[in-house]
Amino acid sequence: MLRDERLSQYALLIVALALVAAYLFPVYWMYVTALKTGNEITAWPPTFWPANPDFAAAEVWQRMQMATYLKNSAIIAVGVTVIVVVLGTGCGYALARVRSRWMDVVLFSILMMQVLPSSLMITPIFVAFSQVGLLDYPRSAVILAQAAKVLPFYVVLTRATFVQVPKELEEAALVDGNTRIGAFLSINVPLARNGILVAALLIFLQSLGEYVYSRSLIQNRALQPATVGLQSFMGPNTSDWQGVMTYAAIYVTPIILFFVLLQRQIVSGLTSGALK
Amino acid sequence: MPATSSSFRDGRGFDRMLVWITLTFLIVFSAFPLAYNILMSFQSVDLFTLASFDRPFVGLDNYKEVLTNSATDIIVKNTIVFVLLSVAAQLVIGFGLALFFQQRFPGATWLRGLFLAGWILPGLVVGAVWSWILAGDFGVLNWVLQTLGLTDDKIFWLSDPTNSLYSVIIANVWIGVPFNMILLSVGLSAIPDDVYEAAELDGAGRVWRFLTITLPLMRAQLGAVISLGIIFTLQQFDLFAALTQGGPSNGSNVMQYWSWELSFQDYRIGQGSAVSVLMIIVVIGVAAIYVRSTRHEHAA
Amino acid sequence: MTAQIEIENIDKHYGAYHALKNVDVRIPQGQFVALVGPSGCGKSTLLRTIAGLETITSGKIRIAGKDVSAAPPRARDLAMVFQSYALYPHKTVAGNMMYALRLKGMTRKQARARAEEIAQITGLDGLMDRYPRELSGGQRQRVAMGRAIVREPQAFLFDEPLSNLDAALRVHMRAEIRKLHDRIGATSVYVTHDQIEAMTMADHVVVMRAGVIEQQGAPLDLYDHPVNRFVAGFIGSPAMNFIPGQIAADGRHVVLDLPGAPRLTFDGRRPADEPVTVGLRPEHLVPGAGDNMLTLPVAVVERTGSSSYVLSDTTPPVMIAASDRLQGVERGDIQVTIKPSLVHLFSQTDDLALSAR
Repeated sequence: MLRDERLSQYALLIVALALVAAYLFPVYWMYVTALKTGNEITAWPPTFWPANPDFAAAEVWQRMQMATYLKNSAIIAVGVTVIVVVLGTGCGYALARVRSRWMDVVLFSILMMQVLPSSLMITPIFVAFSQVGLLDYPRSAVILAQAAKVLPFYVVLTRATFVQVPKELEEAALVDGNTRIGAFLSINVPLARNGILVAALLIFLQSLGEYVYSRSLIQNRALQPATVGLQSFMGPNTSDWQGVMTYAAIYVTPIILFFVLLQRQIVSGLTSGALK
Repeated sequence: MPATSSSFRDGRGFDRMLVWITLTFLIVFSAFPLAYNILMSFQSVDLFTLASFDRPFVGLDNYKEVLTNSATDIIVKNTIVFVLLSVAAQLVIGFGLALFFQQRFPGATWLRGLFLAGWILPGLVVGAVWSWILAGDFGVLNWVLQTLGLTDDKIFWLSDPTNSLYSVIIANVWIGVPFNMILLSVGLSAIPDDVYEAAELDGAGRVWRFLTITLPLMRAQLGAVISLGIIFTLQQFDLFAALTQGGPSNGSNVMQYWSWELSFQDYRIGQGSAVSVLMIIVVIGVAAIYVRSTRHEHAA
Repeated sequence: MTAQIEIENIDKHYGAYHALKNVDVRIPQGQFVALVGPSGCGKSTLLRTIAGLETITSGKIRIAGKDVSAAPPRARDLAMVFQSYALYPHKTVAGNMMYALRLKGMTRKQARARAEEIAQITGLDGLMDRYPRELSGGQRQRVAMGRAIVREPQAFLFDEPLSNLDAALRVHMRAEIRKLHDRIGATSVYVTHDQIEAMTMADHVVVMRAGVIEQQGAPLDLYDHPVNRFVAGFIGSPAMNFIPGQIAADGRHVVLDLPGAPRLTFDGRRPADEPVTVGLRPEHLVPGAGDNMLTLPVAVVERTGSSSYVLSDTTPPVMIAASDRLQGVERGDIQVTIKPSLVHLFSQTDDLALSAR
């Protein structure tokens, strides 16, 4: 009996590994292609392991001026994350604490703003920003637009976290002599820290891959982020797949590392936000 | 010391202030553009009138032009096919994987979590990788299909207008599967074991248990996943940019990409707004139904 | 120095719901007051209005003579012990105790010294650097107490602080809280749903139901002279027996609606020929024969060793509590007598006690 169970468990494990491998094949293919030379890339049948691994990272980094692109991506992602955390954390808390018709309306509006697609919002944002002169500061324009796009998602995620902090702790702090803001900062925020960090990380990663707004609002190459850079690298008919995949690999490896390290927290943060 | 003057420090004013900080930002950068979008859809907006605050009103002309455009039929049809096929495939594959990983074996949770890697990558990078996998001459997918004997000739996924939409759908399903799977897993683990045990004692087989217990108890979860799937699918833009640019000859164009194209490549911004307004109504409609249904679940 | 608390005719509405109705309680300095009642009676709401965690719709709350009706919690200088203890999970025991002191402007060193001092009294020394999650239920309770004491507040507020402890520890902590109160002499308001806790700990008991104070006074006063049927049934364990009856034409006897229609004499005169509810405490029904005797068929006998309980086979059943073992009583009939002064009478129309005239 017991042996059978062990055996079937290992059989399931093997199937599971096969499923994961099949699903993650595109990621693997990106890395493998990045290591192949031009001849091997056009080999038929394709090779699944590079015959002569060729590291093009340094060359692509130089040629594509990746330092500039990645710096811009980082500036945009950091800017968005800072704005969202500063403006949104308190709202997530208030929506978790106060139950009223009023707050239901606010929550509903925020949920509605969460679903507005960037590609549909970019038209009015572009026109309005150009009219008030914001397009002279294109990265800031992208930061503001992207912050408005992801702020609702952050509020919903942190609200789910604050709901789990018992109300009595805050009340104890008030009776102990603190103000509302003092209790919020010294009791609620530290206790919701993990949820806030995961939400901020998700916002950061999302903004690191932002494309629509950057493509539409930033004309100056020197200010564009890595997504726009990758798009212009690919062009309509690229054949430099080693270059493109090397670029992609350099770009996403930090994201993948982040993800592997914090997988459990990201999964739980996501599910709590999407379902409540 | 009256309560009102110190309401921000000690009273309800604090909550109101926190909410208004967020709302103000969202009103300026989300709600206002939304309203402005509606206004622009009734105006003639192009490169020349872009900076003007006094643009001519054209009534419903933008909507008329957009709806009578020769490309409209295929783009609307593409959008419907894109949403239906993507959501259906994501749901079936995601549900299958969720059921599989619900079984007990070492590392199940961790391996399941790895799927989310696909969801967290920038859409444009996913598009780039798939555009290489789907490449007609040397793409690995064609090799796999040929090796399996499913096709004799190489399929030109991206450059053949009859295939290009499906290539975007394939990549979009790849992105959407993990999210579906994780949400459905949460629902599956919420079903208590003893319900299944009771059914087993009553003589229900595996399939019967799935149909009579799992599916009905997962109704709310399935509703949520389908609504969110539609919403995310209508937000998809990056894959179109990276894979097909809506082409060839609109073969893979969808409403949300077309709206951008009208505004930023044809500079017919008024028409871009009109398409955008129409699609936003659809998205908000789906989201409102979803939010309302989850609220009811909570009340019950 | 602790202070008196005056709660003057306060009302509290939550929208259409009237949570507190014209509540009026005066708490002299140093007194231990218990607010008791079934769940939903408003006792916790009343405590929270005193703390300033809930606003009041009308009326006044004064602490040490000062009107604090609209003041925030931090301006009231009260300490509160919560049912869940509400210990800050991210702070150590010392950190929990120092939190309020630091807010008062004490230096870290002063606060630590003061916390150590109180830790001695409450038996927390040695636990100061632990986190709440590393403590047992009883220890957490002590930290909650210590955190309140260290503040030297104007008054202590307790919100069912013992309900999360097991029965044995609860009895122990009950005595300990009362001892601490006697030593510090601080004004205390204690919310509980357990009438035994209220009776044993408090100087003054306030019985509430549905947002209204039904009766307040010294514990034994409530036991001896309940003003209505609700208080009579709520105070005392096992609960008072209520038997329908009719006052005889002379106004000095009541005929019980039980088989054999026994008659009881009571003290004083009451309105004649009136239908009433007769309240008899189980412990006042003394087994044996004599005047004012009831003969009841026995349904069940329970013996705990120290006392015995008999339940009669009548409608309604009558409970008898005796401090001996009642050897030989198994079935058949039991005879009990009752002193006239211990008979309670309540009007059947409004449940109010019918006092002697």
